[in-house]
Amino acid sequence: MPRLISICALLCLLGVSPAQDVRAPQNLTAGEEGSVSTTGSGNATFYLFGPGVSDKQDVNLGEDVRLPGSDLQNAGQYFAVLCSGDCRSTSFFVSAARPSSLTFLVHPSRVPVAQNDAVSGVAILFDKFRNLELTAESVDFQLNAGKASLLSRAVPEKDGIAWFRAASGKSAGALQVTASLNDLETLRAVQQVASEPCNLRITGQRNASGILVQTEPVHDCTGNPVPDGTIVTFTATEDGKKSTVDAPIKQDIARAQIAASGPAVISAASGVVMGNELRLGGH
Amino acid sequence: MKIVLPVILVVGTAGLMVLALVSGGNARGTVGIAGGSAMFTPKGTTPEVALHNLLVDVQRRHWDRAYDALSKTSKADKEDFIQDWTGSNGSLRSFSALEGFDPRPLHITDDQAEMRVALHWSTPVGPIEDVRDIHLVREGDIWRAVWPKYKIPAVPAEVIPVTYLRWDLVTGTADDQWGSKNVDAPRVRIISMNAVNTAEGAIVMGEVVNEDTIPAFVNVNSTLVDGSGNAIDDETSFDKIDHVLLPKQVTPYRIDFPNIDLNKVKNVRIDVKAALVPASADPVIGVMDQKLDTDAQGKAVLQGELLNESGQTVNISHVIASFYDNSGKVVWVSDGYVDRALLPQSSEPFAVEIPKNVSDKVHNFHVVVNQYSLARS
Amino acid sequence: MTNEKNYARPIPLTAIVLVALAVHGPLLLMQLPARSFDANFHMFFASHYAHHWFNPWNEKWFAGFSQTTYPPLTHQWIALFSTVIGLKMGYMLVQLIAILLLPVGIFRFARIWVNDRAASYAALGSVFLGALSFLAYQAGQLATIASAALYLNALPYFYEWIAESRKLALLKGVLISLTAAAAHHVTLIFGVVFFAVPVLWTACLDARRRLVSGSLGGVLGRTVAFGIAVGVGVGIVLLPYWLALIQHPIQQMPIPHDSRANYLLNSTIAVNYFVIPYGALILALPFILIRGSSSRRLIPLLCGFWLAFIFGLGGTTPLPQWLLGRAYEVLTFERFAFWATLLALPFVGLLAVQLLDRFQTKAAVGLSLAAVGTIGAALWWLNANPYRPGGSADVEPVIVFLNRDGHDSYRYLTLGFGSELAKVSTYTSAGTVDGDYNSARLLPEMTHYGSAQLTNAKFYGSAGMASLRAMLEHANRYGLKFIFVHDPYYEPLLTFVGWRKIETFDNGEITAWSKEDVPPAHQISSDAVPPAWQGLIWGILPIGVSFLAIFLELLLPHQRRAPVEVGVPFHEQDPQEHYVA
Repeated sequence: MPRLISICALLCLLGVSPAQDVRAPQNLTAGEEGSVSTTGSGNATFYLFGPGVSDKQDVNLGEDVRLPGSDLQNAGQYFAVLCSGDCRSTSFFVSAARPSSLTFLVHPSRVPVAQNDAVSGVAILFDKFRNLELTAESVDFQLNAGKASLLSRAVPEKDGIAWFRAASGKSAGALQVTASLNDLETLRAVQQVASEPCNLRITGQRNASGILVQTEPVHDCTGNPVPDGTIVTFTATEDGKKSTVDAPIKQDIARAQIAASGPAVISAASGVVMGNELRLGGH
Repeated sequence: MKIVLPVILVVGTAGLMVLALVSGGNARGTVGIAGGSAMFTPKGTTPEVALHNLLVDVQRRHWDRAYDALSKTSKADKEDFIQDWTGSNGSLRSFSALEGFDPRPLHITDDQAEMRVALHWSTPVGPIEDVRDIHLVREGDIWRAVWPKYKIPAVPAEVIPVTYLRWDLVTGTADDQWGSKNVDAPRVRIISMNAVNTAEGAIVMGEVVNEDTIPAFVNVNSTLVDGSGNAIDDETSFDKIDHVLLPKQVTPYRIDFPNIDLNKVKNVRIDVKAALVPASADPVIGVMDQKLDTDAQGKAVLQGELLNESGQTVNISHVIASFYDNSGKVVWVSDGYVDRALLPQSSEPFAVEIPKNVSDKVHNFHVVVNQYSLARS
Repeated sequence: MTNEKNYARPIPLTAIVLVALAVHGPLLLMQLPARSFDANFHMFFASHYAHHWFNPWNEKWFAGFSQTTYPPLTHQWIALFSTVIGLKMGYMLVQLIAILLLPVGIFRFARIWVNDRAASYAALGSVFLGALSFLAYQAGQLATIASAALYLNALPYFYEWIAESRKLALLKGVLISLTAAAAHHVTLIFGVVFFAVPVLWTACLDARRRLVSGSLGGVLGRTVAFGIAVGVGVGIVLLPYWLALIQHPIQQMPIPHDSRANYLLNSTIAVNYFVIPYGALILALPFILIRGSSSRRLIPLLCGFWLAFIFGLGGTTPLPQWLLGRAYEVLTFERFAFWATLLALPFVGLLAVQLLDRFQTKAAVGLSLAAVGTIGAALWWLNANPYRPGGSADVEPVIVFLNRDGHDSYRYLTLGFGSELAKVSTYTSAGTVDGDYNSARLLPEMTHYGSAQLTNAKFYGSAGMASLRAMLEHANRYGLKFIFVHDPYYEPLLTFVGWRKIETFDNGEITAWSKEDVPPAHQISSDAVPPAWQGLIWGILPIGVSFLAIFLELLLPHQRRAPVEVGVPFHEQDPQEHYVA
């Protein structure tokens, strides 16, 4: 772009003769046809410079120069230069066409429930030529967990971007996040997962091979079951010896078999969360 | 000349050959390929020679000769004896080759001898040393080893119901819309880190937790930086970590920097990389009867038993233990491989070594078990 | 014509060459050496020359290495032929040429000591040598065979020059010696001791006994001149090699090799490195000793043979270690057995003459059976030996995998592929940290351990696995993302260090493993990259010398020298029954 401007400035400096002139429309829309009017008489060479476009054609002075829509697909500043001995130039701006796509980025893809400012989304509007839409449109953001609506907000875009930040819901499951503008709508899903286990409680009983110990159904503090596969570490201490089992939660419950015959103290932990302690006498 | 030269050459060649034999010639064949037999084997007239002959036969997998050299009072039958050396069920021992041995006498009388032999195994996971005491008796003028019965774990026939829990990974196709199917990497966190100086070099160690609800592949990298901000060395946790962490699982990690003095290190940079991987929650391996103790050689060890609580065979188990001091700081991480397979519902002993200077500080410990199963590989 | 008269004639050299063609031609057409240990290595080098004739820096092995670390002649010839008949057939053709040159060389070399008839039997015997088949079909030591064949052809010129001062002999002798060095420098270096010294010694004896025109002083003076010419020539022709060697002398940990073992302590090794290479020649050993000692003129040859024989026994005697020092741990000793068999052949020719004169047809049958039995045993051993090259799996899917989806932006490793590693490397655009050429290794993960290729790590025991572990520890440093496994032995290690199986090929014979956090490979800086001028002379001089030698042989035919008697009760020789080499 700076090189383009330099070229145009140079051409403008050269254009000192008032014999011909060139006038462009104030605003054009990307992909739409336009025209540049010229004055004077005789033949001239017409140059068009724009984002990703350069064109040259012979024109008759005094006639309008037609600019086809295919030359004006990229939004931005264009320069029209008319040379007939001397050169005259003008510039015009091509703005984006009406929005045709809405790119929507949502972060994160998984989020623990009941977390403040945990979900964020960014919507970016483009026209059909992938020009960033800079007109101040408002994008509607909606967050729905099941039938419950967590957020519904219209956010005006700024410099082509609209964004939101919101808290996650209280129940695990899919969080539908929608961004819409007029008839454009983009849907994303965030998986809401249980947060840290809460009230980890274990029970145990002796059997032929030692102690069968298991948790009660493991939930987080908002009552969501902790996902299967989450590791619960059972630790049994017996006569100065320690036994540990890393057992995964299956169908809300983690269970493990611990080989201990004497009196034992058993505890459980999942990540940084500790559970209750269980004391079992010997056989 | 007609007679002298051939005689010189023949005698010279024979002399050189004898010299090579006397000076301990290299009989070594390629590891993993059954070696041929020696053309000359000394008689086992001393416990040392008898044990050496036996171990050479074991090394070359000459089972008939090795078994024939045992005392008739041995409790082991031939199958037991072979399985004792070759392992079974795809265990680490079954992948291993006896690379060398260092026998030394513990106690020798006219008829009885107690020998201790350090067996050097070459294994897929690196060299492993195994120490074994062998009893020999004199039968006539020949010494023979008395081989104890090798207890092959007996697994009763039973049906063990398993609710398989596994995570599969589906990756998006290249033409998916931008941002439509991105799945975040798992959230993992280093919960402790400690750097220590040892005679072999600097060691960085600690623990990592998977805070997410999905399995994570983790690898910890560390860079040591000197006073002027230049990197001295960068290494990774390699096999001293459990790379696949299930949700909320904690693993120790240890990064070795050989031949680096920590005093020259200004800064330790550490970063943990996490990625989505498919994983399975089975099998579950319990670590029973963990206890700090001293082994037969007087080394401080953490020993215990691994109990396979699932219905599938775990071929190779890898034990990684972190040791904490009074304040809960990780003061050491050590690891070890178990050379026998863990059959379903059965247990195998393990021991990992702790340096003497560290063992006094140890207040608590945490063991995780990494595993390799042929059925799942 | 009676049997006695039939056997009294030398066998025409053309016929011997045709026998060599008939015996080895079909084996090479069947591409039997393609599965030998080193064949893929040679084709890999040749492939690089075919694509980058003047750039010896090859990025495909060891994260970059210089091919100036290995004499290039055979590879460059394969590269030339490959443009017409492909790499594999190019290799076979060069191997065939080397095999055909061998009986010619043996005939001419043997004639220094024995008459045409015995020399022709020696030449015929060379076709059936167990050691030749061992090197060609099991070891794949193309360069050793080619160089030995060329050197044997150069030595008669050396003799003629020093003994009779023939200038053309000097020119041809020097040029063929340089060609031999360009094929394999080690052969030339050791050939001086095992081959050239006996020739010089013999020439001195002949000069003292006035059997040749030159005086003793003249012989010695001309030897110095020849030595200087060859020394300077080899220095120039292989200059980049010497510079690379000076810059990076071989200081890596010794790599164990079974040829350095004591054969008395391991019967399999003894069969592989002694029984198979020598074959029926073992029966001739007493004759060689007795006959070699019976004539003053044969003693130099006997001494050369004995020294090569002792070296060929590897660690069975301590002599090689005493004489070679550090080099003992770098060399392999099967080539010494090959040289010993070549040095034994003139004696075998004499033995054949004596047997045929005495027993005629019975001897002919016996000798034929011994010859066929020797080569037959060597060919049978190809499949019977426990060292036989593996790699029966189809590596084509591995090559396809590496060449697609940008996988070649990472480095790879093969495990359990044996010599097939070089085949994968030849046809993929990706690079590996491994390689099948020990002397070019500079990466510390390999040179600090006593093991060779990582793909064969388990065969080197703890040292091999330690080297593999060291390389895997630094996988991120080298952009090593993909590992192909053709031996489940390695799977536990890969599992424990964080690799995951991602694909299987060839019905599960080969599995592909990957690690998540490996960045793309970047160029590893090295001071071993040869400058452009070295690439230029490397691409011109070795092949140029070989062209010169060929043209000189073709354009300036040589007057054959009359053989010197050694006191054998030879039959009267009809001059018309002599054949020019």
